[in-house]
Amino acid sequence: MASRTVAKDIITLRGSAAIVSEFFGYAANSILYNRGVYPEESFAKVKKYGLPMLLTQDEEWLEAGKLQRVVMVIMSKATKEVLERWNFSIETDSDVVEKGVSREKSDREIMREIQAIMRQIASSITYLPCLDEPCVFDVLAYTDTDVPVPFTWIESDPKLIANPQMVKLHSFDTKIHKVDTLVSYKNDEWDEQ
Amino acid sequence: MILRTPPPKKQRAEPILHESPSPQVASEGRLVIYEDNPLAAPPPESPHQPSDHLLCTYQCRQMVKADFIDALSNAEKQIRDYQSKLEILNENLSKAEVERKKFRDQFLYAEQELAAAKGREQMLHDQLLKEVNDSQERFKKQLETNNELKGKLQNELNLRKKAESSAASAEEKAADIEGKLTQFSQSIEREKKQLQNELSQLKGESKLSISRISADLERTEFRANSAEKESELLKEQLEDLKKQLNECLNQKSEVEKKMSSFTFQEVTSSESSILIKHLQEELRNYESEVREARKLKSSHEDIELLKAKLLEEKGRRERAESELSKLQEQQICLSNLEKELSLWKLIMKDIPGVSCPEDIPVKFATLQKEVIASTMKIGETNARLKQIEVGLDAAQLAKQNAEAEAALDKEKAEILKSEVKRIELMLSMVTEERNKLSNAINELKRHKNEEAGDEVASGTVVQELESSLAKKESCIKELERSLHEQKEINDRQHNEIKMLHDRLNNEARRIKSLDRETDRLRSEISLLESKLGHGDYSASNTKVLRMVNTLAVDNEAKQTIEALQTELQKTKEKLQALEELKSQSGDTGKLVDSYISEKITKLKEQIATLEKREERYKTVFADRISVFRRACCELFGYKANDYTAQPEISHQVDIFVRKLNSIPAFTANLTVESFNRRTLS
Repeated sequence: MASRTVAKDIITLRGSAAIVSEFFGYAANSILYNRGVYPEESFAKVKKYGLPMLLTQDEEWLEAGKLQRVVMVIMSKATKEVLERWNFSIETDSDVVEKGVSREKSDREIMREIQAIMRQIASSITYLPCLDEPCVFDVLAYTDTDVPVPFTWIESDPKLIANPQMVKLHSFDTKIHKVDTLVSYKNDEWDEQ
Repeated sequence: MILRTPPPKKQRAEPILHESPSPQVASEGRLVIYEDNPLAAPPPESPHQPSDHLLCTYQCRQMVKADFIDALSNAEKQIRDYQSKLEILNENLSKAEVERKKFRDQFLYAEQELAAAKGREQMLHDQLLKEVNDSQERFKKQLETNNELKGKLQNELNLRKKAESSAASAEEKAADIEGKLTQFSQSIEREKKQLQNELSQLKGESKLSISRISADLERTEFRANSAEKESELLKEQLEDLKKQLNECLNQKSEVEKKMSSFTFQEVTSSESSILIKHLQEELRNYESEVREARKLKSSHEDIELLKAKLLEEKGRRERAESELSKLQEQQICLSNLEKELSLWKLIMKDIPGVSCPEDIPVKFATLQKEVIASTMKIGETNARLKQIEVGLDAAQLAKQNAEAEAALDKEKAEILKSEVKRIELMLSMVTEERNKLSNAINELKRHKNEEAGDEVASGTVVQELESSLAKKESCIKELERSLHEQKEINDRQHNEIKMLHDRLNNEARRIKSLDRETDRLRSEISLLESKLGHGDYSASNTKVLRMVNTLAVDNEAKQTIEALQTELQKTKEKLQALEELKSQSGDTGKLVDSYISEKITKLKEQIATLEKREERYKTVFADRISVFRRACCELFGYKANDYTAQPEISHQVDIFVRKLNSIPAFTANLTVESFNRRTLS
């Protein structure tokens, strides 16, 4: 899937964008599965939740260096209150975007870093509050102001949580894109007590 | 000649000397008459002189007088000289006394300064001692603090070792748990892969079903097209056959006519019968051809059905093969799951406090919390260790500074001691000088008393005084120089100390400001991180986009797909019904075709008749309307061609004809206007 040269572990902008977009797909799936946003049995039928659209669009934005953040927001279906916010911040090496140079990093190391994050997402259920009510999700993208809005996206508010608890997870770096993961969630009443 | 002049003074000194003993002798109680020194008496002269002596006594007296007067004058001169010398000497003495007083004052001043310097030296010495004591006390205190800090360090090191050991054990536990977690994650990934494989297989199945459905659709479409084409062909054939039939019927009718006309001519009856036979044969041929066409059509349909069945059988075979492979994979999965179950059970036995699989996540949660707590503790201990290390470094720096200060103080003390020694040496020198001066003064005093007779000694004494004065002056100058130098050194040291103090204060202030800045920056960093994590952004650089709810779009698409599928099914059912109808009845199809063709001919005839009627009505209407227009023109006298193009007339028509319903008013208005136009123009 990701176009990267195996020999000498050279990473190009396109390859890095493919890796990052693939990671977003896996991470989103993992979050929705682990947080129980949709029941387990519906996982086979509801294919990818429209994420192919997300993957293709953010790959374009990543190659242009215009994507700053991707946020997955989990909200209550009834009240539309934001319960969790999974924030993936992206730092792009502007030299690579402008000059088209490539970088060198081992594939194995990148995959190891991604696996660590996936494991942390899987283990996040131990400290995140339970989602007892039916929930829905939204995907937000923080982009530069000069990016044209495609027809599958609309401008929106950032859907913030008031006084959240924040937990910073690991990050991974392809030497072209650096992705930091952070989850902020609404304080559970039980925890406050 | 007898000299009766008095003897010179020197000789008087001698008599004085002689007198001195004489008074002493007299003082002893004896009376001694002064007589001319018999020694001084000139030796008796030669005998030839007594006569001269008796003769020239007056001249001699006069001469002696003159000589005496000369000698007196000389003596007086000498006395005056001596008096002037005395006065000069007295002046010198007074000057010397004044200078002595001055030097004495200076000496006293120098003594006072020496005493002050001594006092200052003692004070400095005391201060030095105090400072040395203070520095020693500080040094002791710092040593004590260092020892305490060392003890604390050792305690902290022990704690750190314990914490490290506990951290290592926790890390080992965490590594074990991570290993187990990796195993679980691997198993989960395996299951995921399996599920994904299943998903892909289901996708393949769905694709196959979709392809099957599309193939069915295509088949049905093809069938429908082919059926339409066949129906068209059959219709064409039917039409041809009808035409032929009609021709045949016409021929038959002609033949019958001919037959009727030729009833009397029985000779040609065999030819007509032959014709009829021919026609009947042709009919039979055509019927046979139609039957063959129908057979071909049925065979085609059978072939297509067989092809569809083949495709279905192929699909079933592929499904069966895939299911077989699935079976094998599932068997492998089963075996793997059984192995994993056994592993799980073993792990459950290994993990303490876990009795059933449901306890495992709780146990993992507790272990993770413990790991988190231990890592936090490790972080805290590391922070404390760092603080202690910083404190140690600061203490060591302070210790080094104190040692340096103590060394400096020692050097200062040594320097001051050397200075003190030097000053003591100077003092001793000055005291020696003072003693010398006092001795010189005493000598001066003595010499002053004996000054009148001995001027040479006074000159040497004066020289000695001058030399001693010069030495004193040099000593005093040296003392002053040393004092000045010491003052300068003290001032320099004071200035250096002040500069160092100022530098220390500045550095302390800088450190405080830097600490404040680091705290501020840390708080800012934490604020920014919280803001970043919170999701804040600047609207000038960033905009937030939301993905349109693709699930709703998918639902809509699904609904449309479902609707299309229902329509497809309906069309399929219709086609099937049509095909069944077609396959069931061959003759009824023919009848249906004839019925349809009859209906079509009837409709065509109706259309023709209606068109004819329309043309007739149009012609009649054109006639009538022309007649009507001629009548109107003759009646009203006006003929309007295309009045709608003329706005005035159309306006008048609207007002008079449509609103007022009065044609005479319209015609009257027209006449008036036309009249006005003609007359006015």
